[in-house]
Amino acid sequence: MPLKNTKEQWGSVSKTLHWVIVVLFLAMAWIGLTMGDMRNGPDKVAIYALHKSIGITILVLMLLRLAWRLYAGAPDPVPGTPRWQERIATLTHWALYALLIAMPISGWVMNSAAGFPLQWFGLFNLPAIAGKDHNLHELTEGVHEQLFWILVVVATLHAAAAFYHHLFQRDATLTRMLPRGPRRTPHPNETRNDVP
Amino acid sequence: MFRKTIILALALLPTSAFAADYAQTGGSTLAFAGKYQGEVFTGKFPGFTTRLSFDPKQLAGSKLEVSIPLATASTGNADYDGELRGDAFFGSPKFPQAKYVATKFRALGGNRYAADGSLSLRGVNKPVTLEFTWTPGAKPVLAGKATVKRLDFGVGGGDWADTTLIPDAIAISTKVVFAPMK
Repeated sequence: MPLKNTKEQWGSVSKTLHWVIVVLFLAMAWIGLTMGDMRNGPDKVAIYALHKSIGITILVLMLLRLAWRLYAGAPDPVPGTPRWQERIATLTHWALYALLIAMPISGWVMNSAAGFPLQWFGLFNLPAIAGKDHNLHELTEGVHEQLFWILVVVATLHAAAAFYHHLFQRDATLTRMLPRGPRRTPHPNETRNDVP
Repeated sequence: MFRKTIILALALLPTSAFAADYAQTGGSTLAFAGKYQGEVFTGKFPGFTTRLSFDPKQLAGSKLEVSIPLATASTGNADYDGELRGDAFFGSPKFPQAKYVATKFRALGGNRYAADGSLSLRGVNKPVTLEFTWTPGAKPVLAGKATVKRLDFGVGGGDWADTTLIPDAIAISTKVVFAPMK
């Protein structure tokens, strides 16, 4: 498997970033949706600290991913993909990039506006990126939550499209993002029922 | 006979002849600072009151008394203040005031002094040393610092005892502007 993306498949850097961020996002969604109901105390503080630490991690990984994407490009759509689907897929991908970068930033602003510390896994502190401001805190709290639900919708569409390609189009769209790579296109015994 | 008269005369002199009495006036502050998640927070005790009998030449007769209301202690962060004033930290409904009393003073050279006093907080009484500078004048100023170990007094002693989250040492700093009492 190449490091860099080729015309046919994703390289190992893009794959690793993709799946690590999937796992972190799922963990974040679960933590984020449950932590608000916890009783005030050190346990709640620890969970919030974990949420913030993972959020900062996602932000850094997304910036790396964006840089890598701009440098290494992306594979072509699998042959036979209609142009409108290709356009929607590209739009979805960039929306995911934007949302996954905007989410942690909105959280960081929210945290700064509340005047809370921001410590990365207990190792070092990051500065506030906004002044302490009650209204800004309220505003970003809403934005953070709305961005999350938009992200859920877009990510679901993205995953549904991948499954659609895999199960119904029976092409390599999904498998070429999997660790073992695209086994479908070159597979001689695989019959494709969607040949244009 | 003459000597006895002198002793009698000295004994009858009011103590203020040895240590001047002062009351706190405007411009005084009592602040605290600690760390939370690796970040410094600061707070104030508005409404604290100080009384002082002090004479740099007669440290033996000196006395410092500070009353600190806890229900108004403020860090400027409403989320912190709710916890701070509540049961887990100051327990201000049950222990509305902290009190610091010092009668032992040491000269540290120049205008520097130390008061070996006792802090009563949350029903616990423990020694706390206040180091300060004394600037005499029409409105003399005491500027001092002390370190209080919060866990000695059970401040955040239960759930919040983890010192990697909130270290034990809390820095106290104060500047008290005095006016002579008449």
